[in-house]
Amino acid sequence: MNGNVIELRGLQKSYPPREPGGARTELFRALDLEVGRGEFVAVEGQSGTGKSSLLHILGGLDREYAGEVKILGRDLRGLDDPELSALRHAQIGFVFQSFNLLSSLSALENVLLPDFFGDGVPDAHARASEALATVGLSDKASARPTALSGGERQRVAIARALVAKPPLLLADEPTGNLDARTGQGIIDLFQRLHREGMTLLVVTHEKRMSRAASRVLVLERGELAADPTLEGSA
Amino acid sequence: MRPARLWRLARGNLARELGALLVSAGGVALGIGCLVFFLAMGRGVRKVVGDVFPVSTREVEVVVPQVGIGSFLGEMKLDEALVARLRALPGVAAAYPRLALRIPAVTRYNGLFFGRELHMGLELVGSGVPADLVAGDARMPFADEGEGKPIPIVLNRRFLEIYNKVFAPQRGLPTLTDTMLVGFQFPVELGRSYVAGKTLPQAYETALVLVGFSDRAPLAGISLPLEAVRRINARFGQDTGSYTSVLLRAQDSQKVSSVAAAVKKMGLELDESERNRALQIGAAVELVTVALSLLATLITALAAVNIAQAFYAEVRERTREIGVMRAVGATRGDVASLLLVEAAATGIAGGLLGVLLAFTGGWAVDALARTALPDFPFKPQSFFVFRGVHVLLGIGVAILAALSGAFFPARAAARLDPARALTAE
Ligand SMILES: Nc1ncnc2c1ncn2[C@@H]1O[C@H](COP(=O)(O)OP(=O)(O)OP(=O)(O)O)[C@@H](O)[C@H]1O
Ligand SMILES: [Mg+2]
Repeated sequence: MNGNVIELRGLQKSYPPREPGGARTELFRALDLEVGRGEFVAVEGQSGTGKSSLLHILGGLDREYAGEVKILGRDLRGLDDPELSALRHAQIGFVFQSFNLLSSLSALENVLLPDFFGDGVPDAHARASEALATVGLSDKASARPTALSGGERQRVAIARALVAKPPLLLADEPTGNLDARTGQGIIDLFQRLHREGMTLLVVTHEKRMSRAASRVLVLERGELAADPTLEGSA
Repeated sequence: MRPARLWRLARGNLARELGALLVSAGGVALGIGCLVFFLAMGRGVRKVVGDVFPVSTREVEVVVPQVGIGSFLGEMKLDEALVARLRALPGVAAAYPRLALRIPAVTRYNGLFFGRELHMGLELVGSGVPADLVAGDARMPFADEGEGKPIPIVLNRRFLEIYNKVFAPQRGLPTLTDTMLVGFQFPVELGRSYVAGKTLPQAYETALVLVGFSDRAPLAGISLPLEAVRRINARFGQDTGSYTSVLLRAQDSQKVSSVAAAVKKMGLELDESERNRALQIGAAVELVTVALSLLATLITALAAVNIAQAFYAEVRERTREIGVMRAVGATRGDVASLLLVEAAATGIAGGLLGVLLAFTGGWAVDALARTALPDFPFKPQSFFVFRGVHVLLGIGVAILAALSGAFFPARAAARLDPARALTAE
């Protein structure tokens, strides 16, 4: 392992046509990317360029691609379902674009969800409470998702991604539903995690988030390029 | 995934899908209810048949073949010597010879019968049995006292039942218990027949006294002491040296077939008409039970199809949540297990409900039978025999049905592509 947490070589991704006879959606032809340990990378790009699709591939959620994808030195192609599940469980934290909570569980239980699977999460309850506190939702621990606002649900999802203390965090517009102040809280949190050594790859439209990142990339016409207008501050 | 965690997730989903799952469980309950109900009814009815046609699994009735090798090798007689040989067969515990009354007999009763005027003439069929066969059930001595003394008789217990349920109500006679009847004495005319309309020259009158009821007494006719029958047959010049049949009791039911084989080897035959009739009725009951159980199983299978539909709908509805679970580390197996645990819980609920339904149904039918059905011979207290195995079988089949219904939906859920599940509508 050469210290890269993410390594893409010639990644190719296209979707079959949604209707018969339609055209395939070509996203990437030959995407290369290296993200080193402890980097905080922001990915920008217009709607529909494939940012979410890229995150799904990086997280081992989508295996329909060509090329090579290595996460923490392991080629995802070579992992079977239990191995890939274990990788997602212990090594990767996800924050989805459309925050997804389980409606039958309380906020706290949603944060605890990783503890339900695999070998569980050590000290799960303490960590879950801590994670909820970190996103400022200690008082909503027993609330059901339906009783939470959009921003609150988003923050529960962020707490869930952090509860297992994964070395890699993949976040898809984590501040998309948050007001400026709450959003800033999340950006501060990510910066703190970055300082603590976590590797972050965050898809964002927020300039403040990009400014907090150590590297900013733009996804355009299937290519990842450094942001010409803005360079990372760290 | 640890069971407690799995159950916590399943419980949440069960609570959320309660409506649909109750419908599914209700279907299972209906099928299982029918299944347990019919199985218990089959057992109950077999028990009633067993009461009406009791067949001892340890006994066989030996007779001389009507036309057989015996008649060519010289007359074969069921005499004392042959009875002794039968008694000595390996596996035989006891041998009870039976001697038919070889002359006609009638009884005429004119007088008060338990406070009611009764005029009745009856043709009697009788046979002599050894005292030790029925003496245990008799309330008074079962022994021939000689000429001029009343002859003790024992009746099969089923006579009392038939008298009480059929005879007495038809004639407005009181229903009786065995204690009321024991000691009852009535005249008998030996050597006379109403049916044949003839009277033998030696015909004479004496008395019979009922000394008890016994399940061991032959069903056909009255049972008299062996010596009394021998004495009467002799008085009318009938053969006294041979018996009509011999009842052999094996040491245990496993030895019956070897005893039967040995008997046949001796050139004798077995009278199996009663046993065969009981077996035939038993087989008929069995057949109906099996048919009804199959019907119940079909209902349960339909319930399984309903469960499949409910779980497909649930998987569709929960696609995104399944994607989330996969993203935080659930394996395909975890996703499938979760759905199967939910299905098993539905099955258990349906099974328990079904068993309850069957119990209630059985109780209702019995209650109805007690009040709405007229009294008839051998009318049982209950038409059902519920057994622990029925309950276990019911719940087991319910779980099986639920699991098989959920199998394909669970597999489909496990195979969902996580990325696609997460972005599903
Ligand atoms: N399962 C799919 N089948 C077919 N096409 C798909 C599928 N998922 C995504 N696409 C298409 O792929 C393209 C990229 O989608 P993706 O969600 O990755 O974009 P994005 O960059 O995240 O956009 P946004 O900023 O709006 O979230 C879009 O045109 C989308 O319609
Ligand atoms: Mg997106």
